[in-house]
Amino acid sequence: MSDFDQVIEEWEGTDLSLLETLDHVLNRGLVIAGEITISVADIDLIFVGLNVLVSSVETAHEVLKNRHPE
Amino acid sequence: MSALAFYVYCIAESAATAELPPDSLPAAIEDDSKLEWISVNTLAALVSRVPRESYSEETLAEHLTDATWTAIRAMRHETVVEYVAKRTSVVPLRFGTIYLEREGMQQMLVGRSRELEDIIDHLRGREEWGVNVYCDRAVLLSSITSVSPVLRDLVQRAEQASPGQSYLMLKKIETLKVDEARTAVNRIVEQIEEKLKVQTDDARRLRILKVETTEHGELKAKFAFLVKRSAFEEFRDAAERLAQEHQAAGVRLELTGPWPVYNFVSM
Repeated sequence: MSDFDQVIEEWEGTDLSLLETLDHVLNRGLVIAGEITISVADIDLIFVGLNVLVSSVETAHEVLKNRHPE
Repeated sequence: MSALAFYVYCIAESAATAELPPDSLPAAIEDDSKLEWISVNTLAALVSRVPRESYSEETLAEHLTDATWTAIRAMRHETVVEYVAKRTSVVPLRFGTIYLEREGMQQMLVGRSRELEDIIDHLRGREEWGVNVYCDRAVLLSSITSVSPVLRDLVQRAEQASPGQSYLMLKKIETLKVDEARTAVNRIVEQIEEKLKVQTDDARRLRILKVETTEHGELKAKFAFLVKRSAFEEFRDAAERLAQEHQAAGVRLELTGPWPVYNFVSM
């Protein structure tokens, strides 16, 4: 299974909005000084890629849904 | 076996962990790894072990640029925190807090225990709800004349004016419509914030990450509200009333949640 398929599979098991979830988990929440933490600058960069991914996952999700109507 | 580090999801009260044995919890962010509670006095951190080679400073930064890698792990992080937050008061941590040694994390729990306990106390029985405000521009523009007194007046005068004057006035009306629409949206958003604040314990206006156009129109504002579980019905009713009130102006409200209280845990 490709990573992309895995994203779709894991996402389908939840009723979460993918972008909202990523926004919450990556941008918010308490930041405590771990020995390794992600910097805020990194997060902006990460989101550029995630936006693209979310669009393609949502498109793929639509295609799958149309193929297997509930 | 390669060296491991501790990935931290959230912090709860030690007393609550007995009801949440690791076996009952969702999957950890890495396969082949289990969640565990690390307790120090009254506080407990929910952690799982991750391979140091994937979560060292440099490799983590590299992995994070791989959107699929990050998305899978961020979803797992959320699933875990959400599961626990539904059952007890927790401090949700942001994705990617890692301790190399168990001692480092234990020291953190001791050093910040006062602040963490205060947060947990303040959040008890409360959840975070998101409110997204969308606006359908076409609907708003077509309804703006009835919403804006200035425009209504101008339209009436244009109807009574001579053809030449009327033409110029209609041009002016078109430009004004766009301005008025912007003002109207801002006013509506403020009103939504004001009215919902009354129903809640705390509110945050959030940054919009990208201009999102959905079937409901364009995302105009995003809020997070801290809501008592016992007050949720009233909060939802208030949101529904606002949605009905502003529907004619092309405004839609979307409620998301309940979320772990990600937006209300700053120290």
